[in-house]
Order: sequence, then structure tokens, then C-alpha cells
Amino acid sequence: METTELEQQPEEVAGHTTVPAPEKRFQNAIRLVVGVLVLLILISALPGLNLRFAGDRLQTFTTIFLGIFIEAVPFLLAGSLVSGFIAVFVDQNTIARYVPRRAVPAAFTGALMGFAFPVCECGVVPVTRRLYQKGLPLPVGIAFLLSAPVINPVVLVSTYAAFGFGPVLIGRYVLTFIIAFLVGLVFHFAKPAEVLRPPEETGIGLPDSYHAPEAAAKGEKRAWTAVVTAADDFLDMARYLIIGSMLAAGMQTFVSQALLLQFGGAPVLSVVAMMALAFVLSICSTVDAFLALSFAGTFTTGSILSFLVFGPMVDIKSAMMFLGVFRRRIVLYLILLPLLFTLLFALIINLFLT
Amino acid sequence: MRLKTIAKVILFLSLGLFLASRLSNGTLSFYIHPRFNPLTAVTAFIFLLVGLIYAYQHRQTILHGAAAHDHDHDHHDHAHAHDHDHSHDLSWLALAILALPVLLGVMVQPKPLGAAALQNREINTGLLASAPAPSGSQLAVIPTAGERNILDWLYLFRASPDMAAFNGQPVHVIGFVYRDDRFAADEFMVSRFTVSCCVADAAPIGLIVRWPDAPELAADQWVEVTGTFLAGAFNGNEMPLLIADEVVITEAPAQPYLYQ
Repeated sequence: METTELEQQPEEVAGHTTVPAPEKRFQNAIRLVVGVLVLLILISALPGLNLRFAGDRLQTFTTIFLGIFIEAVPFLLAGSLVSGFIAVFVDQNTIARYVPRRAVPAAFTGALMGFAFPVCECGVVPVTRRLYQKGLPLPVGIAFLLSAPVINPVVLVSTYAAFGFGPVLIGRYVLTFIIAFLVGLVFHFAKPAEVLRPPEETGIGLPDSYHAPEAAAKGEKRAWTAVVTAADDFLDMARYLIIGSMLAAGMQTFVSQALLLQFGGAPVLSVVAMMALAFVLSICSTVDAFLALSFAGTFTTGSILSFLVFGPMVDIKSAMMFLGVFRRRIVLYLILLPLLFTLLFALIINLFLT
Repeated sequence: MRLKTIAKVILFLSLGLFLASRLSNGTLSFYIHPRFNPLTAVTAFIFLLVGLIYAYQHRQTILHGAAAHDHDHDHHDHAHAHDHDHSHDLSWLALAILALPVLLGVMVQPKPLGAAALQNREINTGLLASAPAPSGSQLAVIPTAGERNILDWLYLFRASPDMAAFNGQPVHVIGFVYRDDRFAADEFMVSRFTVSCCVADAAPIGLIVRWPDAPELAADQWVEVTGTFLAGAFNGNEMPLLIADEVVITEAPAQPYLYQ
């Protein structure tokens, strides 16, 4: 079953799984490409074999890739640790007892849950996945996934530090809440079938000793189990973070930003440009306010808000990480719904409120 | 199973060591804002700790190849899919991807962003609109003329309605050489990147320099430029031009970026 990592496995029929030949060939091709790449890097690094592998573009790509990765990885690690401890210490009845199931309270709870689990956009993915495994209702998790990167104490402080108390701070929180709430509701009423990737595909499981009462007896031992579970969660999500960071770095290395930045004052195009920029840059929500500040003088308020609201919900690296939890169809909706809602609200602000 | 477990332990340990080494030799500032240094130090420590705990908890697998909770992968190829959890099943492809940050980090020599990265970005010279708007407090802390860096000067340009006001002011700045086809033969830009979080948001800024020997300077070369301002125009925009008296080739500074 090693071949299930990136490609969806066909459903099991009558107890037998068969991997069709084209899919297997595709996976082997990926392996070959990665293998050749790794080999090339290794060869080029051998002393004395100065192949000048590190050309200008590769240099720029590597610097930006590592910039995004090093900035994001502490938050993914923190999220994985929270996930590991939830796996071991939170039992399913707790969630069933405290989390509402009716539409409006459920989406409402999800949108505000970030204050209980302060995680940013990288950390929220493993936490949400783990909470789903513990029986969290679907709309609550969706609203949490979208809102938590903004609606948490750390981002509140950083946004306040950058913009002070004013329309940007208020707008960011109100819009994020409304959009997360609405998307949560959509998922509640649409009741999509087959939302999550099946567990044998994603590799998420209960910790080894979860069913063993003798192992769970000692608190210290359970804590160690939690760390090991967290470690597996981290590795499982980190590959999506890495692929996402590489895509974002590739876009930045090879695609011109000047194209986007010339629309600063246009009410409609500035919003589109800032949302595209947020998607491509993939900057962590805990620090994006400082970046947005440098656009504040020249870009419309609606576009600054769209950057601060849409970016934390969806960007290249978080979209990649969604693929580790949800089926591809659902990931598409998770990108499109926030995109359309953000666009709508930002345009209303630009055209009617300013 | 055994090899993969060992590979995972190595992954955690190498991530921790990689971050720690970048932090200790100062090259971490090529990637992210120094305000993240404490966070990175804690992260490196946790990676090492997690690696050790992972190794200890899986010591049976690592030492003897057989885990206490072995999932018995040898019996029927597919039948175990629903009986056992798969929290440890990462393919070799996944492990290769996970190794990429450290591999690329070690194989590609650490270097701050340079002139090559500038080609895809909006360049903020004196008056271009997207230069950061200065706040009152930022203007208050700008040092005296001889000590101002490129960003300080751009703040002042933004705050001043009259570009001729800078005529004759002495300038001494450090940056790397950038040139494209908008530049005349005796012109180049002395440039820096500003960074607010990590290099993903790096924005190039610069002053236009007039220097007769400009064609002899290679792109990306770090230089110290001494001279005075003279109101002029570049690419149709009015701005103070830096008339150089002296251009000295130098090493990249330890903090290659400027922070807003």
C-alpha cells in the first residue's frame, strides 16, 4: 500500500483492490523524476565535480522556497503537536457533548473555535483532520478551517500592531467570520457525500497504544505516545507544505509581479490583484498584516481587506495541504467559495462604502 | 518498515540540525526576518527532541526490525487495509519530498536574493507609487544624512514634495548593482531588498546612480556608493539621482535585507 500517497486509490470492490496499469505507470514516473532530481543534486554537490548546478534561477528559487518553508514549519509543528495531544487525550464524547449539530450554532461555533485552538493556516489543517477523526461535525470543521488562521489571539495582536484599531482590523475580523460562517452553512445544507479522504489513504490513524488500556494507564507514557502521533502527523502534512512552498516559490521565480501591482487604485482590479497576490505569496497569517501595510498607501481598502481575508483561508500551500484531508472535489469548493465571497464583499466595500 | 522508521528519525534530526546551523552561522537572515530567530531556535530544539522521542518509542523496530505493534505486512497483500491503522505508511516518494528542504538547503549555497530575483519584481525607485508610505514615527527615527540607508532616503523622498530639496546632500549607501535596458550607459541602480516577514515578500528598492565607469560593474556586485544628490529624471519620473564621487566594491553585509 505504499503507492497511495499522492494518487487516489480506486475503491475497494469485493475485498480486492487493484491498481490499474496507467496509474501505476504514473506513480513510477513520478518516482523516476524525483529519483533523478535527487541524484542530480547529490552529484552536483560532490566536491571537485563543479557542475555549477546552482544557477541564478535555482538560487532564487531555493532561497524563496526555504524562506516560506522555514517561516511556516514552526506553525505546522505546533499544529501537529496539538493534533497529537488531541488524539491521545481528547475522547470522542467530549466533542459530541460540547459541539452543536444544528446548522447555525454549528457554523457559528466553528468560526469562533480559533480562540480555543490558536493555530495559523498551517497548524489548522492537522488539527481539523484530527478533530474530524474524533467526530467533529463537518460544517464546524469547515468554518474552523477557514476562520482559525485569522480568528485567534496571535493574529489579532499582529494585525493590531500593523494597522491599529480601525477599519482594516474590524473589517478583517468581521469579513473572516461572516465568510467562514457562510461556507460552513453551505457545507451543512449541501451535505456533500464523501468529503474526507478515507483513513487508509491519508494514513491518519489512532495512536498505537490507543486501544491498549495498560499503555494508557500512565499519563507520562500517553504523553510520549502523543508526541509520536504528532510526529507522524507532521510528516504526513509536511510533504504538502513542501510541495505548496515549492509551487509558490516557482511562481515567484518565474512569473512577474509587476503585472499585478499596477492595478493599485482600480476598485475592481485591485481586489483581483491582491487576492491573486495573497494566493501566490503563501505568507503565514500571523505576519501577513505587516506585508499588507506596505500596500496600504496605494491599494484600495477593499483590496487590502481581500488580501487579509482570502490569503489566510486559501493560498497555494494551504490548498496543497487541504488535499491531504479532503477529496479533490471538496478542495475545489474550499477554494472557490471563499474566493467568491471575498470578491463579493471586497467589491461592495470598494464600490459602495468608500 | 525498519528503514523507513530510521529515515523518519533522520528527517527530524536533520531538520533540527539544519535550522540550528543556519541560525548559528547567521545565514537564517537570508530567508526570514530576524524577529523569527527565537521561534526558529525553539523549533530546532523541538525537532531534535521529537526525533529522539520517536527513536526511543520505536527502538524495537529500529534495533530488531520488529515492532511491538508490528502490523504484519507479509500476509495477504491487501487484506490488512481495514484491520490496522496506517499511520506509519509513508512511501519512499513522500520521504524523498520531505528530505527536499534540507537537501536543497545543503546542496545550494546559501545566498541572499540578488539581481536575478529582481527581474520579476516591481522596483521601487525614488517616486514609484508602491514605495512604502512612511509613518510619522518612522520619519522621526531616520538618522542624519551620512548614515541613511536606501530605505531611509526613500521614506524622505516620499515625504517631500520637492525633489530639488535634496540637491547637494551627501549620500553614502551600500547595495548591489542592478541594471536593465531602461538604464543609460553611465547609470545603474544601487539596490537592496526590503523584507517584512520572509523573502517571499521581498521587495526591491534602490537609488539611481550616475557613474562614468558604471559599465564596468557586474550585476549583483555589492558596492559602497559615495556622492551627492541632484534632481533629475529616470524613466520619465522625476527623482533625485545619486551623482557618485566614488564607487567601492565590497562584500555583502551580514544583514543583506532592510527591514521596514
